[in-house]
Amino acid sequence: MEYTIFTILPIFLLPFLAFVLGSFIVKRSEKLAMAISTVSIFVSFLFSAKIFSDFIFSQFSKDYYIHKYFNWFDLSSQGLEFSVDLGIYIDNMAAVMLLMVTGVATLIHVFSIWYMADDKKYGKFFVYLSLFTSAMIGLVLSDNLLSLFIFWEIMGFCSYSLIGFYHEKEKAGEASLKAFMTTRVGDVIFLLGIVAIWGVIGTVNYVDIYSAIANGVFEGKMVLGISLATFAGFCIFAGTVGKSAQFPLQVWLPDAMMGPTPCSALIHAATMVAAGVYLSLRMYPLMELGGITPFIACVGGLTAFGAATIALVQTDLKAVLAYSTISQLGYMVLGVGVGAYNAAFMHLITHAIFKACLFLSAGSVIHSLHDHQTHDHVQEMPRMGGLKTKLPLTFLAMMACTLAISGVPLFSGFVSKDRILGDALYMAMTNKVYWVAYLLGALGAGLTAFYMFRMMFLTFFGAPRDEDVYKHCHKESLKWNRNVPLLLLSIFTLGIFFSGSPSGQGIVKFGGEKYEWFKVLMVKPIPKNFTTYSKEKLSTQDNRDKILWPKSSYESHDYGLNEEDEHRLHTAHIISAIASVVIASIGILIAFLMYIRQSFSSERIISRAAKFYKILVNKYYMDHFYIKIVIRRGLLKFNRLLANFDLGIYDRYAIDGWEHISRYCYRIADFFDRYAVDKIGVDGFGFVIKDVLNKGLRFLLAGKVQFYFIVLFLVLAFYMFRISTA
Amino acid sequence: MGLAPYLIISMILFILGIVVMMARKNIIAILLGIELILNASALNFVAYSRFLTNNIDGHIFSLFIIVVAAAEAAVGLAIVIRFFQVRKSIHIDEAVWLNDEV
Repeated sequence: MEYTIFTILPIFLLPFLAFVLGSFIVKRSEKLAMAISTVSIFVSFLFSAKIFSDFIFSQFSKDYYIHKYFNWFDLSSQGLEFSVDLGIYIDNMAAVMLLMVTGVATLIHVFSIWYMADDKKYGKFFVYLSLFTSAMIGLVLSDNLLSLFIFWEIMGFCSYSLIGFYHEKEKAGEASLKAFMTTRVGDVIFLLGIVAIWGVIGTVNYVDIYSAIANGVFEGKMVLGISLATFAGFCIFAGTVGKSAQFPLQVWLPDAMMGPTPCSALIHAATMVAAGVYLSLRMYPLMELGGITPFIACVGGLTAFGAATIALVQTDLKAVLAYSTISQLGYMVLGVGVGAYNAAFMHLITHAIFKACLFLSAGSVIHSLHDHQTHDHVQEMPRMGGLKTKLPLTFLAMMACTLAISGVPLFSGFVSKDRILGDALYMAMTNKVYWVAYLLGALGAGLTAFYMFRMMFLTFFGAPRDEDVYKHCHKESLKWNRNVPLLLLSIFTLGIFFSGSPSGQGIVKFGGEKYEWFKVLMVKPIPKNFTTYSKEKLSTQDNRDKILWPKSSYESHDYGLNEEDEHRLHTAHIISAIASVVIASIGILIAFLMYIRQSFSSERIISRAAKFYKILVNKYYMDHFYIKIVIRRGLLKFNRLLANFDLGIYDRYAIDGWEHISRYCYRIADFFDRYAVDKIGVDGFGFVIKDVLNKGLRFLLAGKVQFYFIVLFLVLAFYMFRISTA
Repeated sequence: MGLAPYLIISMILFILGIVVMMARKNIIAILLGIELILNASALNFVAYSRFLTNNIDGHIFSLFIIVVAAAEAAVGLAIVIRFFQVRKSIHIDEAVWLNDEV
């Protein structure tokens, strides 16, 4: 299949044009804006499905990619090269990403048609969703860090406007600002990393970076006393920390739940936060070269565990899901850190699906519950309970996702999370640092199972705790746009789609044997393969033709492991699989005993460990830390110092001084104007015209023919004389 | 006899023509002066043609000059007549209508 720009670009352009068009017509017709947005994302989904099927089901090569680009601008002059290319880079990973983003976005659009139907700003919501989706698609298609960063920022903006969608509420406005400012911290450092890479290799293209790594361009280069690869890797990881809500910048994500629930599903669970992990995966060779992977693994483990502990005590349905999102993102980052490249990516995809579904289910629950005093929707779990019979389909979907996220075998979460933990355990055997990451991750898995089942039990099981709310809860209506997205997404929580079969053997057939497609086709970029890469322009064919790799290269020798290590890896995976099943079942069992059997009440535990409970409720005082210490003590003081500098020095000397200089200049200019221009220039010119030229010309041009003749004759005589004497 | 006497006579004619044109205020006299200058040049043509070259180009040219002189005299005299009809005078200093100081 020959790809041209016309078969790839519509994926990005359709939602983008829907945004442009939608923003013009949304005032006229909200419904039309909604329809345009939904249809465009669906068509873009069809395009990505085509690309997906070509990449995964017919190319069968882990090294196949399409890279097309054109020169955006070129400011090169002698000796200084500065040109920027924009382009499209699709490999297996991007193909899967595209399908996930457009697929989840389509379902969320469909769900939003139901969810937002009563909202006043119905159309505007879809316009934002379109812009957001197109930015995410653009980010996935980008072939370089610069355009990735542009789309990254557009998503930051969309996130800002969707969190603050109900900006009448003061809290929503604050939350949107908080999200924007917090991610900005990471983004600035990320930009610094881009600049550092640019400064060294002169381009920020992925393939150029890979080939530069393979060619040893980074070796021996230092920045601020540390090696450049470490610096750049760290800076780029800081972008991930901001966007994917890792410790210590995770504080924005729980507040982001102020937005409408479908946008929480799309942005703060399924796609945007995944962009950070996607970036880390793309730049994995750089981080490996920089040697910061243990650090990444520890950050991931810490986030996974810490967020899980906070989720234990949350009472808001969406807050539990928000913290579980942070925790699951922590697993992905942990996976990046331990080099579990395809496991981390698989977790990204599986998490996107089950978390989107969880949020949509939560939206479905919240939308059904009303408080008749305040006319608001009810989000608090203590007021729910017993909803199983009222919302059976929602319950079914949410249960499937809960099983998936808890890591119950046969569900997708088990397949991906277990692989991350298996690789973490394997790394821990070789390097002590990784024990921290593994143990935090494994404990977090148990906590995840516990808090997710706690949420399920509190919401759907037992007796209704708030009779009024329960009585007014409408029985679930069978609307296609409410239930189809939920059920479709919950089908894809089954592990079989990712591992291929329950036993782990896959559906991709190659050379007579079956392989697990995810493991075989998503492999770490091997920089060595990019050394021969040569730039070709947009109009030419795909840069690399389909390469059919011999069978042997599909085996795990790619990891560079020998037989013995291979065996150890296998053992580690089995141990960690058993461990995580045991841990998850303990978590579920405790939740069951606590909330269904009520063998021991949660109140007693809370009163026993009041101190811990308080810390958890206050989210480890991170918000306090940022607001009271970092902002009040640090930034505000610094702000005041700058204000003093501004008013006292800059304002007084620079601005006022400038005023004085201006006054003098004005006087000189005034003098010049008055005398040089006015007197000499204007009046003098008038004088010359009136008195000198006028009188002279009057004398000369008196109309005396003979006088003219004399002058003519004299001039001629003069020339004749000159010519004859020359 | 060489070229020189012809040129001298031609020069005398030319200077006389110039003087007449400059000094006389009568328009008809000025026209006569112009005729003198034209004759001087015609004489020059013939003389050069006779002494320096071996063809009759100069003679042809002098014939043309005589024709042009006749035409010019006719036009000039016509203008003078119109002028006299308007101003009742043929004084050259009367022909200053474009000057606003009339």
